[in-house]
Amino acid sequence: MSPLAIRLDHVSAQFLHRVKGAVAAVQDVSLEVRPGELLTLLGPSGCGKTTTLRMIAGFQEPTGGRILIGDRDVTGIEANDRGIGFVFQNYALFPHLTVFENVAYGLRVQRQQASQIAVAVREVLSLVGLTGYDWQLPHQLSGGEQQRVALARAIVIRPGVLLFDEPLSNLDAKLRVQMRREIRSLQKKLGITTVYVTHDQEEAMAISDRIAVMNKGGIAQIGDAEELYRRPASVFVARFIGHANLLPTSVTSIGAGSVEIDIAGQRHIVVAQCGDLRLGQAVTAVIRPEALGICDASKSDGGLMGRVTSCTYLGDKCEYVVDLAGAELQVIKANPQPSDRILPGTAVHLNLPAAGIHLLPER
Amino acid sequence: MKGRAVTTFGPQSSVQGRHRLLVDPAFGVTLAALWLLLALFVIYPLLMMLSAAFLEGGRLSLAPLFAILGKPSHRAAFLNSLLLGALVGLFGTALGFLFAFTVARGSLRPRWVRLIDAATLLPLISPPFTTSISFIFSFGPRGLITYDLLGLKGTNVYGLSSTLAAEVLTYFPIAYLTLRPVLTGIGGNLEEMAFSLGSRRLNVFRTVTLPLTVPGLANAFLLLFAASLADFATPLILAGNVFQVLPTEAYLQITGLFDLKGGAILSVLLLVPAAIVYLLQRAWVARGHYVTVTGKAGPQSAIRSVTPTARTMLLAACAAVALFILYLYALLAFASVVAAFGADHAWTLRHYQVIFTEGRKAILDTLFITFVGMPLGGLYGVLVGYLVARGPARGRGAMEVVSMINYALPGTIVGIAYLIAFNDPPLVLTGTALIIIACYVFRYSPAGIRTTVALLEQIDQSLEDASRSLGARSGTTFRRVTLPLVMPAFLAGVGVVFIRSMTAISATIFLVSIGWNLITVRILENMTELSLGPAAAFSVFVIAVVMAVMSLLNAVVRHLPTATGEQMQWGIGGG
Repeated sequence: MSPLAIRLDHVSAQFLHRVKGAVAAVQDVSLEVRPGELLTLLGPSGCGKTTTLRMIAGFQEPTGGRILIGDRDVTGIEANDRGIGFVFQNYALFPHLTVFENVAYGLRVQRQQASQIAVAVREVLSLVGLTGYDWQLPHQLSGGEQQRVALARAIVIRPGVLLFDEPLSNLDAKLRVQMRREIRSLQKKLGITTVYVTHDQEEAMAISDRIAVMNKGGIAQIGDAEELYRRPASVFVARFIGHANLLPTSVTSIGAGSVEIDIAGQRHIVVAQCGDLRLGQAVTAVIRPEALGICDASKSDGGLMGRVTSCTYLGDKCEYVVDLAGAELQVIKANPQPSDRILPGTAVHLNLPAAGIHLLPER
Repeated sequence: MKGRAVTTFGPQSSVQGRHRLLVDPAFGVTLAALWLLLALFVIYPLLMMLSAAFLEGGRLSLAPLFAILGKPSHRAAFLNSLLLGALVGLFGTALGFLFAFTVARGSLRPRWVRLIDAATLLPLISPPFTTSISFIFSFGPRGLITYDLLGLKGTNVYGLSSTLAAEVLTYFPIAYLTLRPVLTGIGGNLEEMAFSLGSRRLNVFRTVTLPLTVPGLANAFLLLFAASLADFATPLILAGNVFQVLPTEAYLQITGLFDLKGGAILSVLLLVPAAIVYLLQRAWVARGHYVTVTGKAGPQSAIRSVTPTARTMLLAACAAVALFILYLYALLAFASVVAAFGADHAWTLRHYQVIFTEGRKAILDTLFITFVGMPLGGLYGVLVGYLVARGPARGRGAMEVVSMINYALPGTIVGIAYLIAFNDPPLVLTGTALIIIACYVFRYSPAGIRTTVALLEQIDQSLEDASRSLGARSGTTFRRVTLPLVMPAFLAGVGVVFIRSMTAISATIFLVSIGWNLITVRILENMTELSLGPAAAFSVFVIAVVMAVMSLLNAVVRHLPTATGEQMQWGIGGG
């Protein structure tokens, strides 16, 4: 079966809240998940990402718009007729059934033959690395193993699309990294179109072909990880993906292929920011902490003048907070050596490559 | 919004509920059938009783009420009931607190906890008048303590004090079971905190432990008050002529004077305080006062909350009460195997012979009624519980309240209501086994209902979603996922219906007939005929059967998987 696309056309979901009345959880979301792609819905809690996923699954009906899986309009169709595989945050393993029976459940519902079921279940259990776990009960398994069973149960029915609802949030940090690799490689191997929900931006960047950042029931930006990181479309996305120094400033001159802005009273060139900027326009400069270079002012001869207010040593990096004429900037120095530690109170020069700044026009 | 309906929060929205009714005819049929049963066996009898009390020739009349209230003996019975209830609530709660505090804070060895648990479980699974019978063996005119030990002659065991003592010993386990989790929940952390702030032990108890337990104490008091108010057997045996209470007064009005109307009115008098207490207790629990500390209970504090001396005193007090209870039961067993307790202590099995010959019919009838009622009660509990937890939003609350009515009402009221409702057409059931079975099923299934609701609340909606995502329809999901997971609730419901069918009397004493008799009623008859030996033998037999079946059910439940992997608890209430 060739992979299916998923399309959301102006999908909305409203809830009736006892006090607030009708509340929109998802507002007019349009989105296409390409065949075979893994798309992540990323956003803070309450942004509507899980509601969107549950509407694709059919656990919840949209109050507006329509949802297509492949060429089939599935709006109004029950979850059990949509041909989906769903992996839940809490795994939702049937506690009274063994690993084998949990995985076999969907096939039994389809009334497949016992011999077929046994073959399919064993095959998928070996795929997720759980050979020999057939007769264990869910509560006898570790969190990672339970997650693998949930995954096996979802893929054994060969669903048209695979849906994940924060599947790794109950695991510890190391296991999360390992499991997300496994999920990704399995998804690529099977080539199933997948929608993945998480609030963890690192997880989203590691696992996705593309990420849809959601905020307040709508989609803030869709793109691959690098695009979202380097060219965030809004202050929200800039803040949500990675760390960012956000400096309100204005355009002081416009040249060919570059503009000049004012940072803390000092002029600075920004390149490759073409488009519709006007002279004098208010913009927010997005500067990633690791894009800034930091140097003791006494040992260097140029850059933005500032003073270190704090320094936190974190092993693989050192985090500085630098006061820049009243504005506080976070600066990250990777792989810090004892010789280049800079103590609080020291005057420093900050070096910022022209390509390290992204400008967001003020609305 | 594009012209489609707005859905409400949660998986059990009314929109989806209606949807489900249309999709799933079995669901709708079950819902309608249960409402029909509730109307027939809960609402109809109650209305019939009220109309018997207040309708005269089709018109509302309060004259009979005033006539009843005009009799000093009835007024006294009303006040006596309230007095007894308040005293039982007070002393029972105090005793329950003593036990709960000792177990929660005394760092007891497991065998002490086992002794306490055994002593508190016994009254819960025995016929409600077991303690009373033992009281007579112990403190009666020929009592072991009064006559044999102290050499007193012509002592009078009947009256307020012995009724009170017997009821306290019978019902304080309810307070113990209510307060123990409260005290455990308050946990070591809060007390440790108070210690760390420099408080002394007694101060911690006074300023932290006790105030946090107050809602639990209030709840326990109300439960005991209601239990005492409803208790029929203890006053019938121990209160004597001097201390009449409402349930016995109503019983005598009906069986002695054949005055159904008077009995109904006395029941209504009983209904007023019972309803007030029930509503208070519900409001109390609903307002969230009861669970004062939420979240994870802290670990057992390393600091002893009580001094070693205090611990010894607490333990001694509990052990004394527990041993006294065990003594009462031992006395009962002893009385069942001697020729004539207090006069001739020669060993004999004659009393058992009597109960298995003359009493055979009562035993067989009781067992038949019990074993027919058990599965019905279990099934009814699970179905109502499922509809209350997952049914259509509209009507869920109403179904929960209605299904609890017969449980919350004193048994005397239910018995009289059934007698009035099913004595005449359209539905004549008096004299049949069905009326007794129906009484038990609708009166004692709320434990099963509550357990089902509690279990379903633990079963995350995602389990049912998972089943749907794997292609299962709602019927398949119910059969393959939900039903196996509420199995423990079914068995809990079965267990409680079983215990009560074997031991209850207050409602069914009005419903027995020549055709269908019950062991508990025979025990009471034996007591009034002063054939104490057979009464003791019957009691021992009932307790033995209850214990055997309960351990069997427990063994089954222990092997059942639950949604959380935790052990099930029996929801045993009073009455």
